[in-house]
Amino acid sequence: MPMSEHLSASQPGMPDEIFRLLRDFIYEHSGIFFSDNKKAQLENRLALRLKVNNLPDFDKYYYLLKYDQQASRELRALFDSVTTNETSFFRSPPQIQAFEEKALPEILEKRTAQGEKMLRLWSAGCSTGDEPYTLGMVIREVLGEKMSEWDVKIFASDISEKALKSARAAVYNDYTLRSVPPDIKKKYFLQEGPQFRVCDDIRMLVELQYLNFNDERRVKLMRGFDIIFCRNVLIYFDDAAKKRFVSQLYDNLNPGGYLFIGHSESLHNISRAFKLVHFPGALGYKKE
Amino acid sequence: MDRLILQTVKHLEDLPTLPSVAVEVMGLSRSPDVSIKAISACIHKDPPLAAKVLKLANSAFYRRGAHEIETLHRAILMMGLNEVVNITTSVSVLSSLGPRKSQEQGLRKKFWRHCIATGLIARRIDTRLHMSLQGREFVGGLLHDIGKIILDEYFHDQFMQAHALSLERQCPMFEAEQEILGATHMEIGHFLAQKWGLPPYIADICLHHHHPQDARFKDITSVVSIADLLAKAKELSCGGDTMSFILKDQQGWHILKKMGHPMDSIDLERITFEIEDIGEEVKEFISAISDQEAQEHAHV
Repeated sequence: MPMSEHLSASQPGMPDEIFRLLRDFIYEHSGIFFSDNKKAQLENRLALRLKVNNLPDFDKYYYLLKYDQQASRELRALFDSVTTNETSFFRSPPQIQAFEEKALPEILEKRTAQGEKMLRLWSAGCSTGDEPYTLGMVIREVLGEKMSEWDVKIFASDISEKALKSARAAVYNDYTLRSVPPDIKKKYFLQEGPQFRVCDDIRMLVELQYLNFNDERRVKLMRGFDIIFCRNVLIYFDDAAKKRFVSQLYDNLNPGGYLFIGHSESLHNISRAFKLVHFPGALGYKKE
Repeated sequence: MDRLILQTVKHLEDLPTLPSVAVEVMGLSRSPDVSIKAISACIHKDPPLAAKVLKLANSAFYRRGAHEIETLHRAILMMGLNEVVNITTSVSVLSSLGPRKSQEQGLRKKFWRHCIATGLIARRIDTRLHMSLQGREFVGGLLHDIGKIILDEYFHDQFMQAHALSLERQCPMFEAEQEILGATHMEIGHFLAQKWGLPPYIADICLHHHHPQDARFKDITSVVSIADLLAKAKELSCGGDTMSFILKDQQGWHILKKMGHPMDSIDLERITFEIEDIGEEVKEFISAISDQEAQEHAHV
């Protein structure tokens, strides 16, 4: 949403030391980290919160979060404003690359050795479907002609019926496709006027369903996954719920499987069960 | 042809040399009763070196106080003798091997970026673990790969072949070097560090940064080995070896843990995210050194 990213000239700036305090506060409460080069982004996002709370500067906003009775309510609004709620195809390229070049080939090799050519993915919190379809395209690219030998299924769940409806329609605008490599765009999208529809070959790989992560019984049933993408979802949970949910995700994975969370999200202090894997430019969590 | 390259390097007559003052400073610093005055007088014998050391001491990178450090004497008082000797060593090695005209300008630049990033990350790990390595971790990180410069300079074509091979096979550079050149950048770096009389810990890091288990200075070599990997993970790499890794399974990690360092309390995710900003610091460091170079030329 670059249009809304512009900060109006009347806004007070965010001093570096307040940025660090806010950054640490947000990290502690949400696990999302704003590196120095994201300062302008954070500043822009929080400018609106300042306005809503009728506060003159970021210092006061920090004190509100830290000491005010209303803090917990503001926290929720803060998280909403720091997560973009924006999804796009091939979002966070280094993560997709880690999936494409490292995690996926590793799983495919293991499965092949086991003589069981089955692949199960879960896009947990799939929103309008950009993520599961992206994963489907990557899998098709990696498997190439061998695709027909494999039983591939990508489960994609979300709590928003509206988002799921868009996902089912699988029609997107040019902006959502801005990170899609041209050859992929040509291969897997059908242009319909100004819109682009995901082709059936990809759509048939994805099974969309409504799922509330608080519905523990149903979440438990999501079993046997090789890779789970659960990006920018955990921010909405408190620590206890986060721990429960992440430990459930661990159980939902096959041994050797990977969990990917948001590119600047952290599970430190949430789970020790996974092994943190450093991919070039991206992190992943492995169940051993 | 194994060992041949190493033999060849040993007999190269035009190998770069270290400024004599640097050698002298390192010698002096090893004596137990060295005075601040002796060290600063020694560095002053090489005015461009002295200017560079001061410049670096005043860069955002090293600067601790609000006031500018105007003399070496003051720098030693403010930063400590060890840190000033560290800076002198770094600056001297960089001026002998550092960024200069080369066919592979792009790769060379990447190389130094990687080395500086490794030093910076090593410093962060030292701080996080309260190890008090006193800046040696930075110098060690900065110089761990000097063998690669020699390989690139004197065996350029084969070194490029090794680079291509490591990319193709997704294997570590040292494996590809062993296959193509018959020697590794670690051996060459170790040889050079010894020949130059660099402190033993630097020679040790050069030789063992991929296998800190074999190192004599295990703590510092482990720190550098971890920093090296983290720098690579942020694609601040110069070889083809941008492999994925699990830090907690690395030798260096186990060694530090065994030594009693609180490794489990380290927020690895956060350290990794913070490294995103290291590019800026790297740039700062490079400009702190190179601006001075321009000034130097003006003086000559």
